[in-house]
Amino acid sequence: MTKTHYVSRRTMLKSAVAGAAAASLPAVPRFANAAEPIKIGMPVALTGPLGGIGAQMRTACEFWAKQVNAKGGLLGRPVELIIEDTAGNPATTVRKAQEMVERNGVRLITCIVASNEALATVPKLAEWDTIFVSGDNGDGRLTGESLVPNFFRPNTSGPMGTRAVALWLRDSPMKNFYGIGMDYAWGHNSMDVFEAEAKRAGKNFLGAVFSPTGTKDFATYIAKIRQSGAEGVYLVLAGDDNNAFLSQAKQYRLSDKIQLLTEQVDEMGLNATGDAAIGMIGGSRYPASLDNPVNKAFVAAWQADYKRLPQMFEGDQYQSCMVLQAGIEKAGSIEAAKLRTALEGLALDTVKGHIVMRACDHQAEQPGFIVKVVKREGMEHPMPEVIATYAADRVTPPCNKMVYDN
Amino acid sequence: MTGWRLFFLAAIVLAAAPFGLPIFAMTLLTEALILGLLAMSLDLMVGYTRLISFGHAAAYGLGAYASGYLLLHTALPLPVAVLAAALLAGVVAIGVAWVCTMATGVSFSMLTLAFAQLLYAVAFKWTSVTGASDGLAGIPRHPGPFGITVFQTKNGYYYLVLVCLLGAYVFCRALVSSPFGAVLRGIRENEAKTLSLGYNTRLYKIAVVALSFALGGLAGALYSPFAGFANTELLFWLFSGQVLIMVIVGGQGTLIGPILGAAFFMLLEHVLSAYTESWALFFGLIFIGFVMFAPQGIWGLLTSRRPKNARI
Amino acid sequence: MDLLPFLLTQCLNALSQAALLFFLGVGLTLIFGIMRIVNFAHGTFYMLGAFLGYSAVRLTGSFWAGLVIGPLIGGAIGAAFEMGLLRRLYRRDESAFLMVTFGLTLVLGEIIRLLWGVNALQVELPNMFAGIVFLFDEPFPTYRLFLAGAGVVVAIAIWQFLERTRLGLLIRATSQNAEMVHALGVDVNLVRTAIFGIGCGLAALGGVLAAPLVTASLGMAGNAIIDAFVIVIIGGMGSFLGSLLAAVLVAFVQVFGNYYFPDFALAAMYMLMLLVLVIRPGGLLGKEA
Repeated sequence: MTKTHYVSRRTMLKSAVAGAAAASLPAVPRFANAAEPIKIGMPVALTGPLGGIGAQMRTACEFWAKQVNAKGGLLGRPVELIIEDTAGNPATTVRKAQEMVERNGVRLITCIVASNEALATVPKLAEWDTIFVSGDNGDGRLTGESLVPNFFRPNTSGPMGTRAVALWLRDSPMKNFYGIGMDYAWGHNSMDVFEAEAKRAGKNFLGAVFSPTGTKDFATYIAKIRQSGAEGVYLVLAGDDNNAFLSQAKQYRLSDKIQLLTEQVDEMGLNATGDAAIGMIGGSRYPASLDNPVNKAFVAAWQADYKRLPQMFEGDQYQSCMVLQAGIEKAGSIEAAKLRTALEGLALDTVKGHIVMRACDHQAEQPGFIVKVVKREGMEHPMPEVIATYAADRVTPPCNKMVYDN
Repeated sequence: MTGWRLFFLAAIVLAAAPFGLPIFAMTLLTEALILGLLAMSLDLMVGYTRLISFGHAAAYGLGAYASGYLLLHTALPLPVAVLAAALLAGVVAIGVAWVCTMATGVSFSMLTLAFAQLLYAVAFKWTSVTGASDGLAGIPRHPGPFGITVFQTKNGYYYLVLVCLLGAYVFCRALVSSPFGAVLRGIRENEAKTLSLGYNTRLYKIAVVALSFALGGLAGALYSPFAGFANTELLFWLFSGQVLIMVIVGGQGTLIGPILGAAFFMLLEHVLSAYTESWALFFGLIFIGFVMFAPQGIWGLLTSRRPKNARI
Repeated sequence: MDLLPFLLTQCLNALSQAALLFFLGVGLTLIFGIMRIVNFAHGTFYMLGAFLGYSAVRLTGSFWAGLVIGPLIGGAIGAAFEMGLLRRLYRRDESAFLMVTFGLTLVLGEIIRLLWGVNALQVELPNMFAGIVFLFDEPFPTYRLFLAGAGVVVAIAIWQFLERTRLGLLIRATSQNAEMVHALGVDVNLVRTAIFGIGCGLAALGGVLAAPLVTASLGMAGNAIIDAFVIVIIGGMGSFLGSLLAAVLVAFVQVFGNYYFPDFALAAMYMLMLLVLVIRPGGLLGKEA
C-alpha cells in the first residue's frame, strides 16, 4: 500500500491563515505552486508548568516564519511550522517528533522546551536523518557527553550562563557564596560550574543545597542561606520553584543582607514575583536592549507586531531560527548531511551580535550578558538592565566540556 | 468458543498490520500495544481481584529502567534483557505486595501509591543507575540471541511486542479461568468468605500483585528500548492514575477491554492534541461522557448487544 | 543563629505550612468520609482558588475579597458538579468516581488555562501582613503567623460546625450510616452536595492563602493533590481530627527533614506515609483497617 500524505488539520489551518494574510498584502511575493514547503517540526510544551516558556518559543518561531515567508521564503520555498503540544512529557515529545518525521516528512526540528525532552530525542536523530536546532535547551551535556552529530545549539547553555555570572563576580568585592539549586540535572550542573569558578576566582564557596522540583515552602532553605553567612547566594531555580523562592525570600527580607545572584533572569519570573527580584543580578540569555543593528531591526519589527518587547526565550529562540535559516541558505538544501556541514563553522550576525557555530561540539560561541533587575519610573514590572557583557571566547566552554580552563 | 475465535482473528489482523499500515501508524500501534499490555496487567489486580492499585507506574518504570540499564551496561540480547527486567519487577513486587496487602480497600491503593512515589524519589536520587532527572537515554537494541537481528528493525520490534502481548493475554486468560482465578474472583466478591473457605487470601493477593507487576514490568521493559529512553515521568503518580483510567475506560475485568482502553487513551490524546491546544478540555469531557453513558467501558459498548459474551 | 530562635521560627513556619496542608486535606477527607469518593479534582480546586484570589485582588484591590470569592466560587462549582454528575453515580463503584473526577481535573484545568493564561501570576500580600516580626532577632513574615492563625480558626470553625449545627450532625451521621439518615427522612443528597461544596471551597480557600507564597500557577494542582492524598491517608480517611494531626505531622517532618536531611526531602513524606500505614493500615485516626 502506498504511503498516503497527510496534512493535519492544524497545518491546514495554519496555511489557510498564512494564505489569507498573504492575500491581504499585495506586496508579498507568491510562491510558485510547485514549491514544496520547508517543514519545521515543533514538539513544544504549550500546556503544563513549562507552557509559559513554550509559548515564548513558539511566538518567536512564528514571528520568524512570517518574516521569512514575507520575503519569499527559504530557497524559494515557504516555511511551514508544524506545532504540537507535548505538555512537557518526554514520552509525548518523542512520539510527536517521530510522527512529524514519519508522517509529515519533517527533517528539521526546533522548539523542544525541556532538557529531558531534548535528551530523550537526540539519540533518535540519526535514525530519523533529521537536524535538531535547540532553541533553549541548557543542559551542558547536550554538547558534551550526549552530543550527536545532528544536534546544534545556537542558544546559551546553562554552564555559559553560570560562567558569565562567575566572571562578573571576579571583579566584585563579595567573598563568600552559598548556592541553592533545583534537584535536577540542570541545577547540579550549573552549581558545579559555579563552585569551580568561584574557587578559581579566590572566593569561598560555603556549600549548596538542592530542593526537589515542586518545592512550595522555601523557609528552611532560606534559613540555611542566612546561616551560611554568605554575602551572595547563587540561585539555579526555574519556573514555579523560582517564583516561590523569590516571593518567599522577599517576605523574609533575605535580599536586605544577601545579594541574590542567578543563572538566568527571565521576564516571566519578574512578572510573577512583582518587586521581589529587584536588585537581583544574573545572567541573561538575551536582553532586548542589546545595541546592534540586527537586534534593533528585530526589536522594532517585534514591537510593531506585538506591542511589547521580546522576552528572553523569544530572543534566544529567534537567534536559533536565524542560525537555521543561514545554514539552510548556505547549504542550499535541508538534507541533514549538507545542512550539518553548512552549520559547522557557520558565522553570522544575530540579535546577540557576532556568533560562530563551532564545528567541534555544535555550540554557538556567543557573548554572555549580566543584568541587574531594576524598576524604573513608569514600568509595570521590574526589568533586567545590562550591566556587563563578556566576549564569546571567555563565556563559551572548551569543546565538549562544561568546565572552563582559566 | 467465540472468544478464542475472536482472539485468533485479532491476532491475524495485528500480525498483518505492518503490510497495510503506513510507517507512522506502526509506531503508534507499537506504543499502543505496549500500553495495552500494561493496562491488561493492571486488570488482573483491579478487575479480577478488586485490588485498586494507584501505583502501577512503579511496575512500568521498574521494567523500563531495568531493561534500559541492562542494555546500556551489558551486551545482553534484547529479548533476554526484556525478560530479565520483567522478572525483576515481579520479584520486587513480592516485597511490595507483602507490605501493601497488610491493608485492604483504599488503604491498599494508598500504600501502592506510596511505594510508587518512593520509587520515583529513588529514581531522582540514584544518579549512577537511573541518571536522575535526565533518565537513561540512547538505549540500544542489542542483537541476539543466536545472532537474531530482526528485533532491531521497526517491524521486527513490533512483532516482539505483539508476541509478548498475545502471550501475556493467553497466560492471563488461562489464569483467570483456572482455579487460581476462581479464588481471585472469590476475593473480589467477598474476601471474608473466601478466607473462611480455607484459602490464604493474602498469599493469593501477593501472587497476583507479583504477576501483575511482572507483566507490567514486561511492558515497561519493552517501552524503553522502543522509545530509546527511560525517565522519571514513567514512574510518576499521574501516570499510575492514567493507567487506571485506561483499565476503567476499556472495561475492567475483561482483559481485552483494558487493551482497547489503553489504545483509545493514547490515540485520543495524540489526535486531540494535534487539533487543538485545549485538547485536555475535550479529553476530560469524553471521559466524563464515558462514565455517564458507557458504564461498562469500551468493551461493554462493543459487546452490549451480545450480553452473553460480556466476559469471554 | 542560635538554636532556640531557629527552633521557634521553624516551628511557627511548620504550623503555617500545616495550615495550608490542612485546608487541602480536610475537604478531601470529609468528602471521602461521606461519599467514599477519592476526589481526583481536589488539587484543581486548590489551584482555582489561587487564580480566583489573583483576580479578586486585581479587581477589588483587596486580598480579603479573594478569601471570600475564592471559596464561594470554588464551593459553588463543586456543589454544581455534585448535583449535575456525581449524584447519578452513587450506585456505581469507585472506579466511576475516579474517572469522572479525573475528567473534571482535565476540564477545569484547561478552563483555568484559557481564562488566566500560561504564565504564573503574582498575588500581593495584604498590606496588613506584608511586614516581618522579629523573634529573638530572627525575622519572621507576619503573613506566616496569619496563616498559622487562620489554620487554627478554620479548624475550630469546622469542628464547631460538625459538632453544633444540624448540618454538621447530619454529615457525621451520614458518614456513619447513610441509609439510616435517609430512613429518618433526611435528604441525603443535600448533605452530599453540601459536603462536596464545602470540601471544594476549603481547597479553594487554601489556594487563595497559598498564592502569595507560591504565586498562582498551572503547576499547583498536580503538586497539591498528592499532598492532599498523603494528609488524608496519614490522618485516616474520613477523619477530621486525623487530617489536622496529619497536616501538622507532615509539615513538621517536611520543615525539619528538609533542614537536617535535604537529600531525603522528596522521599520524606512518602516514607512517613508508609510508616504510618504499616503500623496503622487505616491511618492515624481512621476506622478502616
